[in-house]
Amino acid sequence: MRRAHAWIVAAAIAAPGCGGGDRGGVEIEYNCPANALEIRTLQKETAEFAAESGIRIRLNPFSGQDKLYAMMAAGKAPDIFYTSSTMRDQLASEGRLLDLRGVSRGDPLVERLWPHVIANGLSADSGWYSLGNWEFTCGVYYRKDLFSAAGLALPDTAWTWETMVADARALTIPPGPGGTGGRYGIFIASHFVETLELMNGARFPRESPLLAIPPESADAYRRYIGLITAGLMPGVLRVQALGMQPAQLLENGRVAMLVEAVPDESLFDAMTEPWGVAPLPRFPGKPPAYFRSASGGLSISASTKNPRAAWEALKWIVTRASTYQPTPVLKDVDFAGGWERRYPRLAGSGFREVWELSRRYPGGDPRYFVRFSSWTSGFILGRLQPLLDQVWAGTLSVDSLVAAVPLINREAGRELEEIARTRTLSEPFRRKIEQALGEVHAPTL
Amino acid sequence: MRTHDRAPLGVLAGITLRWSATYGALILLGALFLLPLAWMFSVSLQDAQGVFAQPFRWIPARPRWENFAEALGAIPFGRYLVNTTVITASVLLLTLLSCSLVAFGFSRIRFRGRNLLFALCLATMMLPGQVTMIPLYIAYARLGWVDTYLPLIVPAAFGSPFYIFLLRQFFLTIPREYDEAALLDGAGRFRIYWSVVLPLARPALATVALFCFIGTWNDFFGPLIYLNSPEKATLTLGLNMLKSQIIGSGSVQWHILMAASLLVMLPNIAVFFVAQKHLVRGIQAGGLRG
Repeated sequence: MRRAHAWIVAAAIAAPGCGGGDRGGVEIEYNCPANALEIRTLQKETAEFAAESGIRIRLNPFSGQDKLYAMMAAGKAPDIFYTSSTMRDQLASEGRLLDLRGVSRGDPLVERLWPHVIANGLSADSGWYSLGNWEFTCGVYYRKDLFSAAGLALPDTAWTWETMVADARALTIPPGPGGTGGRYGIFIASHFVETLELMNGARFPRESPLLAIPPESADAYRRYIGLITAGLMPGVLRVQALGMQPAQLLENGRVAMLVEAVPDESLFDAMTEPWGVAPLPRFPGKPPAYFRSASGGLSISASTKNPRAAWEALKWIVTRASTYQPTPVLKDVDFAGGWERRYPRLAGSGFREVWELSRRYPGGDPRYFVRFSSWTSGFILGRLQPLLDQVWAGTLSVDSLVAAVPLINREAGRELEEIARTRTLSEPFRRKIEQALGEVHAPTL
Repeated sequence: MRTHDRAPLGVLAGITLRWSATYGALILLGALFLLPLAWMFSVSLQDAQGVFAQPFRWIPARPRWENFAEALGAIPFGRYLVNTTVITASVLLLTLLSCSLVAFGFSRIRFRGRNLLFALCLATMMLPGQVTMIPLYIAYARLGWVDTYLPLIVPAAFGSPFYIFLLRQFFLTIPREYDEAALLDGAGRFRIYWSVVLPLARPALATVALFCFIGTWNDFFGPLIYLNSPEKATLTLGLNMLKSQIIGSGSVQWHILMAASLLVMLPNIAVFFVAQKHLVRGIQAGGLRG
């Protein structure tokens, strides 16, 4: 027994991970979900950064919201970590995030950032709490060979919803006996419906505490469902039955057009057939407003012991670490060119045009999972998503969905009333919540 | 004579039919369970495009055995294997020692409040991990144990209610007469535990060892929460690193991920085959008496 105990103790001490170590100096912990290759690259580059700046960046690739909250509760928050827009307000209101306005004052980097990048990181108290490190838009990928075979002109930057529907109709081949074979004109996954709302002129306040489905959104939903009922697009069940990833659907010719993220590395890797990409089609009479993601960014913990060093490290990560390059957040970086160098096939594919349009006419990020405030996002989505699923499945009408909005907001209001009573809530955030409560209790609702 | 000949033939045919049906159903069910594993193996031998090929080719034209070598190189596999082995072996040893000791107390020693304590011990099973995660993290952080293996190993020294329950149930099936004989020979409680009960409880210990091995080897959440440094990662975290991307649009190399997953799974399969005989006996015996 003694021997066994001795072995355990010896093993625990000898184990490579047992016992921490403090090497002293300025060290910044960066919580980054990265793969092994990216970690290796980052480790090499952070060593170079440490040599030139004296700031060591310690990488912690094992992340997640649960872990972050546990670390914060224990007072061990990493210096730099990712925050989504839905958690940022809450963390900011609890004083857990550093306001970047202080550390960035007079820094030339601020001038180099696209204005919307800073705007996306602002919270209700006008504090700047995160620096975006990635953005994407979306577009319609299409098979050039199928368009040529059908005698159709390739989509261009000016095409409209009607043209797209007509093309989809021309490209659709009904399935054979038993539902085999055939081709759908287009596939738009339901999580891209929000981009159609945007193209149709719907506008949403950022991080809204309440749900709104304006008429433009309802119209976009109907158009979306119309594609399914017309047999031009597979419904959710049909896609599940096909058992393919969206990129596979396009690669295998089961669909001729596909709405996906731009850029989308997995699609670029998967496609061998000739393809191009066009912007989302314009809706007649609606001003252009292209989707541009803004779901989150990197934040600095308010408990960091070295705010200045953390800011320098954050700047280096976003603007110089090779795994983040080319960065879409700087005005002086040719993002499209960088991707064309990485994937030469992108040249002439329409990729650059799609990207430039989204830069010229940025419509923001209307996706449901980033549309609502920190406090009500989970609550609203928990009630809205099942209804939306029914709408896409054709078992609930769009009118019934719209009719459910006041009820969802009343229930969300009860949640907000609870939160408004929280003592630790800082004043600007309390005002935002009380304003939302005013809307809930307004007679029109 | 003819009737006499026919009867055994009919019986034989009936038995054959029954066996065929039984084994046919079992083979079908087994194949169904093996299907994901077969897919995994097939993908591990494909190239990056093969994963998405339609229709899926179960047997690739040219199996890429080099995927396994690539998987070994994609993450520091050797280092993670050592880390995982150190954690698993330590947890296994501590679990077997602590749980069998506690189970021995609950099954062999009469003391006031024994049943209440046992009920309390079992009640701790009802607490979901999410409830205790933050308080435990805070405690380990104050001890300075975060980013070390101690939070993953040391709790095993304090027993696990499920294993205690399983062992206690098995210990109850061992006749007390053995203890009494040992007492007459002058053995103390610890000698009875160590030299009488433990050798007789091998099937139950093997069962606990197997469950514990699989649970610790495959544990993802514990290492994810308590480890921070890449070089201290376990194999499950390593697998996750093959999947994670720094930005949202990266592509996952599924064939490499599946090859690595198969390699990580091998010890589980080996241990299961070695211990399966004990496993069945241990579970059967452990579940017999209340």
